[in-house]
Amino acid sequence: MAASTDTGIGMYDADIYSEHAQLRRPLAWSFGLHVAFAAFVVLYATYIQGFRGSGWGSGGTGDAMGATLVSSVPLPANPEPTTNVLATESKGLSKSQPAVEEKEPDAIPIPDKNTKVKPKPVISATKRKAEPEPPETNQIPYGEGGPVSGPYTMTAGGAKGGFGFTGSGGDFGSRYAWYVEAVQRKVTENWLKYEVDPGIREASRVYLTFDIGRDGHPSNIQMEQPSNVPSLNQSALRALQRIDTFGPLPSDYSGSKVSVEFWFDYKR
Amino acid sequence: MVVALLAVFTAISSAQDWIRTGTGLGVERVRLAAADFKASNSDPNNVNLLKTFNDVLWNDLDNAGIFDLVSKSFYPLQEPGQPSEINFSAWNSPPPNTSMLAFGNLGVAGGKVTVQGWLYDVKNEKSPQVLGKQYSDNATSDAVRVIAHRFADEIIFRLGGGVNGIAETKIYFVSERTGHKEIWMMDYDGANQQQVTHLGSISLSPRISPDGSRLAFSAINKGGWEIMMYSFDLNRIVAFPRFGGMNLSPSWSPDGKIAFSSSRNGYPNIFVVDPSGGNSHRLTEGKGPDVSPSWNRKTGSQIAFVSGRTGLPQIYTMESDGTNLQRLTDQGYAVSPNWSPNGQFLTLSWMRKYGGGEPGSNDLYLMDIASKQWVQLTHDAGRNDFPCWSPDGRHIVFQSHRTGSDQIFSMLADGTNVKQLTFKGANTQPNWSWK
Repeated sequence: MAASTDTGIGMYDADIYSEHAQLRRPLAWSFGLHVAFAAFVVLYATYIQGFRGSGWGSGGTGDAMGATLVSSVPLPANPEPTTNVLATESKGLSKSQPAVEEKEPDAIPIPDKNTKVKPKPVISATKRKAEPEPPETNQIPYGEGGPVSGPYTMTAGGAKGGFGFTGSGGDFGSRYAWYVEAVQRKVTENWLKYEVDPGIREASRVYLTFDIGRDGHPSNIQMEQPSNVPSLNQSALRALQRIDTFGPLPSDYSGSKVSVEFWFDYKR
Repeated sequence: MVVALLAVFTAISSAQDWIRTGTGLGVERVRLAAADFKASNSDPNNVNLLKTFNDVLWNDLDNAGIFDLVSKSFYPLQEPGQPSEINFSAWNSPPPNTSMLAFGNLGVAGGKVTVQGWLYDVKNEKSPQVLGKQYSDNATSDAVRVIAHRFADEIIFRLGGGVNGIAETKIYFVSERTGHKEIWMMDYDGANQQQVTHLGSISLSPRISPDGSRLAFSAINKGGWEIMMYSFDLNRIVAFPRFGGMNLSPSWSPDGKIAFSSSRNGYPNIFVVDPSGGNSHRLTEGKGPDVSPSWNRKTGSQIAFVSGRTGLPQIYTMESDGTNLQRLTDQGYAVSPNWSPNGQFLTLSWMRKYGGGEPGSNDLYLMDIASKQWVQLTHDAGRNDFPCWSPDGRHIVFQSHRTGSDQIFSMLADGTNVKQLTFKGANTQPNWSWK
C-alpha cells in the first residue's frame, strides 16, 4: 500500500484527496461507536456491577474456608413427569399454540413492482404441517407402560445410565422388576455429580460390573471399561462403594447372587 | 461477562442436584397405592381397629419420603382384601396408575387380631408379589398401631433399597409440662408421649445410646451440672461418674463412647469417656468454650462441635483424637451440629447475620462436610434449633418457636413436609433414636 502510494503520488493527487474525503465518514462513525461503547462499559461497571458488592457469589472469606451459597431456596420439588396434561413439564405431552400474529387492520401493504419475492401463501391452521417431534429428553415416561424390561436406564442430572441383570435363571429382571428399580434408585441417589471434573462436558461410556449378594451387599465391583475421563471413572466407582446394601434379594429367588452390569454416559 | 454469569448459574443449579441425591431424596419416587384393609370377618371390634390400622399405615407411608402415594379418591370401587380379588388393569392404568399396591385384611377373633398384608407390583402381572406378611396380636388399638408400623417398615425396607423404615423409632425430648424440665419420649409420629425422668430439677440434652438401652443427659444436682445415665433395661437412673465443674451436652459414638463438654479443668472443653464413664481424656484445649459435640454417626472417627474461641459460636470438626481441627462456618452464630447417618452432612442451627440491626433469624441448614456447601432448610418460621437426624437419613426432627411456644417438629431432610409432633407445654431438644 505504502509503495503504490509513493509511486503514484504525482499522477493521482486528486484521487488520493478524494479517497481521503471518502474515509472521513466511516472514521466519524467509528469514532462515535467507540465513544458509545466506552460509555456503555463505564455505565455498566458503575451501576450494574455496583449493586452486587464485592463478595457476590464468592462466599465468605473466613480464614479457614469459605462456605459457598448453594441456593436461597431449599431443594426444589422433584420435576416428576406426570400424565396429567395440565401439570406436566414434559415437552412431549402438551404443546403451546403458536402465537397469533396481530396485524393492524388499516395497514395495507404497498405493492412494490421491483420486488421479486412473491408473498407467501397463507396456510390455514388445518393445513399446517405437524411440528417436528421434540428431541428425546432421556426420560422414561413415569408410570406408563407395563412392567419394565431390560436394559434398565436411569438418568441423573444430565447423565444417563443403564443396567443389565444376570440372575441364575436369566429372568431376574422380569420377575423382580421392583428390585431392579430399587437398585437403580439407590445408585442414582449415591452418585454425586460434583465429583466429576466440572470442565468435562461429555465423556465416553463407563462400564462397571458388580455382584449383589443375598444380603444385598454389593461386592466384586470392577471397572470393565473406563471412560476417557478419570474423575468420571472415580465417581462411578465411589457411587457403588458408598452403598452398604441394596436390601436383601427377594426371598423366593433361589440364586446366591445376581451380577449387574452397569453403564453410564455423562453429558453436562 | 455474560459467559461468566452463565457459568455461575450452572454451578449453582448442579450443586442443588447433588444435595438432593445425597440425602436420598429427590430421586424418582415410587408410585404406591395403599388400599384400605378390609374386615376378614364380622366381629364388631373390626371397625375401630381397621380405622386405626389404615390411618397409621397411610401416615407411615406418607411420611417415608420415598413414595408418591396415590390419592384414595382415584381408587377403584372394588378394593381387594385378598390377592384373588385384585383387578390388575383397574390399578395399573389411570386414574390410579400405580406401580405398587399395598392391601390386605384384618379380623378379630377370640380377643386376638390377625392382619394379613401384601405388597404387589401391579405392573408386573406375571409375578406381582413383592411382600406377603401375617401378624397376630391382642386386639387392642396399641397393638394394631405396632402392626401397622411394622408392615409399613417392611414396605419401606423393600422399596427403599434396604434402608430400614423409621415407623418404630422413638424421639426423646425435654418437656416442661409438669412444671420441671424432665426427659420425655414419644413415637416418631408424636404418639405415645411418656415421661422418662422424675428428678424435679432441670434435665437437658437427652441422647439415646446406639443400642437404645441407655439414655445420657445432663441435669443439675447438688454438685452442679453433671452427666446422668438412665437405663431402659432397669427403668431407673444408673450410676455414672461425677466429673466436677459444669458437664453438658453428651453425645454417643457408634461404638458407645461418650463425648461431652466439661469445665472440670477451668474452661469448657470437649472430653471423651468410655461407656462406663472411665478413661476420660480431653480433646480440645484453651479457653473455648467448646460445647455440643456430635460424632460422625457412620465412621465414629470425627466429632463436630461448637466453639466460641473466635467470638461468636461457630461449628468446627476434628478427628476423634482431637487432631485436624477445621472450621466449617465462617460467619454469624452457628450452634447445634448433628451428623447425618451416612456421614456426609451436618445439620445445624445458624443465624447467618448476627448483631444489632441485622434481620437474621435462627434457621436450620444442611451442610456438606466435604465441600462446605450448604442449603437452608427452614424459612421465615421463628427460631429453629436442635436439629437431629432420623436413622434413615431422610428426616430431621427439630425444635421451633413458630407457633408462639417451643414445640417439636419433624420434616424431610430437604425441608419439606413439616409436621408438628408436640402441643402440650414447652418441648425442646429432640433426639432421634439410632434404630
